[in-house]
Amino acid sequence: MKVNFTIVRPADGEHADIYAAELTEQIRDAIDLLENGRGNLPCTKNTQVILLKTDEIYYMESVDKRTYVYTKDECFETKYRLYELEDMTGAHFFRCAKAMIVNLRKIRSVKAQFNGRMSAELLNGEQIVIARSYVKDLKRKLGL
Amino acid sequence: MKKTKIIFSQTLMITTAILFGLGIQAMIKYVSGGVTQIVWQWYIPLSLILTGLLCSLPTLLLLNQTAHGGWRDALRLVAHFFCICAVVSLCGYLFKWYTDWRGYVPIVAMVAVIYLFVWVATLWITNSDAKKINEAIKEIQDTE
Repeated sequence: MKVNFTIVRPADGEHADIYAAELTEQIRDAIDLLENGRGNLPCTKNTQVILLKTDEIYYMESVDKRTYVYTKDECFETKYRLYELEDMTGAHFFRCAKAMIVNLRKIRSVKAQFNGRMSAELLNGEQIVIARSYVKDLKRKLGL
Repeated sequence: MKKTKIIFSQTLMITTAILFGLGIQAMIKYVSGGVTQIVWQWYIPLSLILTGLLCSLPTLLLLNQTAHGGWRDALRLVAHFFCICAVVSLCGYLFKWYTDWRGYVPIVAMVAVIYLFVWVATLWITNSDAKKINEAIKEIQDTE
């Protein structure tokens, strides 16, 4: 496939347009890489190392200096700190509290809560809290 | 640092609200009785700021907590309101803002009206934000 690359100013908004006859697995991987960053995240579960696809991640949380990665119904541990994960994961990941990063694509809905906070219901039914100080960042990220 | 910031912003907000209430009272006195001047003792402006500072402490203790939803938050809100009333009553007594019940009742009524207004406004803004966020999230939401 022929690939064109053009440098734009950050203010113009970085984006990629793909013209193809069909959506193949390769193109899907490319889209995933562009949208979700690295694509795979090394995690551990019961001493077993697993490469987790970032689009499977619901949220990541730091508890007692350990970082946990949650998918639809599983929990993994990763050696990376949250600030490192912020850089490694893609544009759809958002720091929603001091110790949590959520995948915006996995949020079903948000609800206004007590004292300016918001609660978010994820696609698997789990509830997380979006801290008041991060609501502004969320709106900015969503272009509101 | 975060707590200092909360105390500072709350102090500013509450002091402004008290000044707003006093302004309305002065306006009512002018409209109903033609009173054109307010005479304050030298310590009154400082007492207003001190009251604002003291009123910010219940906010830090009661409202800057994780929300649980339901009656516990409602109870916290009621407790917060009564703490604010207690602080204003005590400061009002110490700084002689009122001398009898006829002077005390308008002060409590003013606190109640401002409190209600602030909460209704906050809730309205947060709900409107939540609505906008939900619409934006639908566009990027994954299907499970």
